[in-house]
Amino acid sequence: MGALSLKDLHIHYDRQPVVQDFSLDIGDGEMVALLGPSGAGKTTILKVVAGLLAPARGEVIIDGQVVNDRPPEKRDAVMVFQKPLLFPFMNVNQNIAFGLKMRGDDAARRSRAVERILALTRLAGLGPRKVHELSGGQQQRVALARALVLEPAILLMDEPLSNLDANLRQEMRELILTVQSELNITTLFVTHDQAEALMMSQRVALLLEGRLRQVGSPRDLFHRPADPEVARFFGGGNFFRGRLHEGHFECDFGRLPVTAADGNGHLRTATIRPEDIQLATAPVDLPDSFAGTVVRTRFEGMATRAWIRCPFGELVVLTAESALAPGQSVRLRLPPDKIRVFSEASSSE
Amino acid sequence: MARPDAGIDARTRRGPGPTHLALMLLPALVVVVMLFGGGLLLGVLQALGHLPGAGLERLSGMHFGRVLTDPDFIQSFGLTLYVAAVSTLLAAGLSVVAALALNRMAARWRLVHFVFQIPLTVPHLVIAVAVIFMLSPAGLLARLAVAAGLIETASEFPLLVNDRWAIGIILTYVWKEIPFITLMLLAVLQNAGGELIDVGRTLKADAWQRFRHITLPTIFPALGAASLIVFAYTFGAFEVPFLLGRTYPMTLPVWAYKHYSDIDLMARPEGIATGIVIAAVVAMAVVTAQALTRRARKRGIVL
Repeated sequence: MGALSLKDLHIHYDRQPVVQDFSLDIGDGEMVALLGPSGAGKTTILKVVAGLLAPARGEVIIDGQVVNDRPPEKRDAVMVFQKPLLFPFMNVNQNIAFGLKMRGDDAARRSRAVERILALTRLAGLGPRKVHELSGGQQQRVALARALVLEPAILLMDEPLSNLDANLRQEMRELILTVQSELNITTLFVTHDQAEALMMSQRVALLLEGRLRQVGSPRDLFHRPADPEVARFFGGGNFFRGRLHEGHFECDFGRLPVTAADGNGHLRTATIRPEDIQLATAPVDLPDSFAGTVVRTRFEGMATRAWIRCPFGELVVLTAESALAPGQSVRLRLPPDKIRVFSEASSSE
Repeated sequence: MARPDAGIDARTRRGPGPTHLALMLLPALVVVVMLFGGGLLLGVLQALGHLPGAGLERLSGMHFGRVLTDPDFIQSFGLTLYVAAVSTLLAAGLSVVAALALNRMAARWRLVHFVFQIPLTVPHLVIAVAVIFMLSPAGLLARLAVAAGLIETASEFPLLVNDRWAIGIILTYVWKEIPFITLMLLAVLQNAGGELIDVGRTLKADAWQRFRHITLPTIFPALGAASLIVFAYTFGAFEVPFLLGRTYPMTLPVWAYKHYSDIDLMARPEGIATGIVIAAVVAMAVVTAQALTRRARKRGIVL
């Protein structure tokens, strides 16, 4: 199948740098999510891999071969766009068979491949339909089928689920995961949706302002963010300063035992996720806790987000306790094993 | 308590019904029907021989019969068809090339886009006069050719105006209609063409395949509709062939005009019958253009 390496990519638009120093290796059959907010440069990177844009510097390597000089049609990479972009003058069968026809496959082979991919993408029976007769979800599935039928070394997906409603999106996620694992296609998947990235990929590459900030497993990025910005992107809202001293993080909230390595005596930034903070409405429930007052709350369905004023600042807590009210007194505890102390370089913000 | 007719209210509030709509459009429709329909009816009556001023009152298809069996009519019809078809085909072909080039340049050079729109504002008559100044044996090109030593006298310059092949007429139409068709194609290309081309590139289509399988089908409805409109116009236009055409054979509109303005009032019904034939051909082209446009919209291609 295919391995993809991006080496030191620099991409400019109108001489303005959009992506800088971007390097990423994706193994054969791996599914990697390129995550970042709108305008971070995710689609630009995908277009460079597809050959639709040229990088100012750096190399795109597919299966060990530098493909910078190859036009898109000569690269073994196919892109699924944000919009389905089906050819309106063709039916479903013709749309899916398009790439095979351009490649020169004969009619019988095309027909067999289309039938197989229609079944795999749960589109069986829709082959003769006109594009405008399909629902949004079906159109996006046809776009996916049209790419998959070519069995490319690299599948590039540019937020293909962003135009779908919540139910369809969930259905498509399952479908993509099933198809990807069945065909074992190396996939680079662009999304701005953290949940989608964490749920769908084996590894996540986080891009912020055109720079790669962290690459790792979904659990790594979620629980062990490399710096406060990464933590903030993943919903972290609690940051506090303190000093590392003999395996403890000494801060306003107390002397918390942490697993952070070296850096005795140094000033560092630490974080704890809102859902990791323990909250109790009765003081007896929590040892090593401190008092706080609820400032405001927001009901989020499965949990309630509460802003708690403490003697040393404000903390955001995500709790199953749904009966909190502004002004209410609570006890909070920061479990030491949930505190993430950032390294010196990333603590300096 | 909810009103029992609440659902009906919600439905009817969506917009006016067909009767309401027809009533609202009635004032405008009356004017159009009176002016256009009245004129057409009067024309049909005259073509059918109802010309009381000339002592003709009995209705018959005699004048249509005479026109349609007249060898001159057949020649004129052939010439008109030739001029309309050739100028439309040339304009359509060149417009495709121009639209593709402009589509690439438009983002960077908006001025080119603007300059291209200028001919749209120039009347056909002005361009016809310009063609006479440029291409006639006493025109600018002939004199330049003499000055450059390419020919000895202006009379050696090839006949491009009032000529057998209607080159002057065709050039005028081509020059005038290219911007019209191009801008229609450009609108389609800028709307959907670029993204579909990118899809085609990642789906292994080379440059020719992208043009053949993506660009052409994408622009085809707009190209067809615009070409049919141009065909309809050039088929029915009078002033350019009147100025730049030969005296024999004439194009149908010139032929109709000559009959209509003939000193012999008996020729008038034939002139009008010719006009009705032209109107029928034009109407067919417009209806076909509309059908193409509707079909394209149904398939999601924006025109």
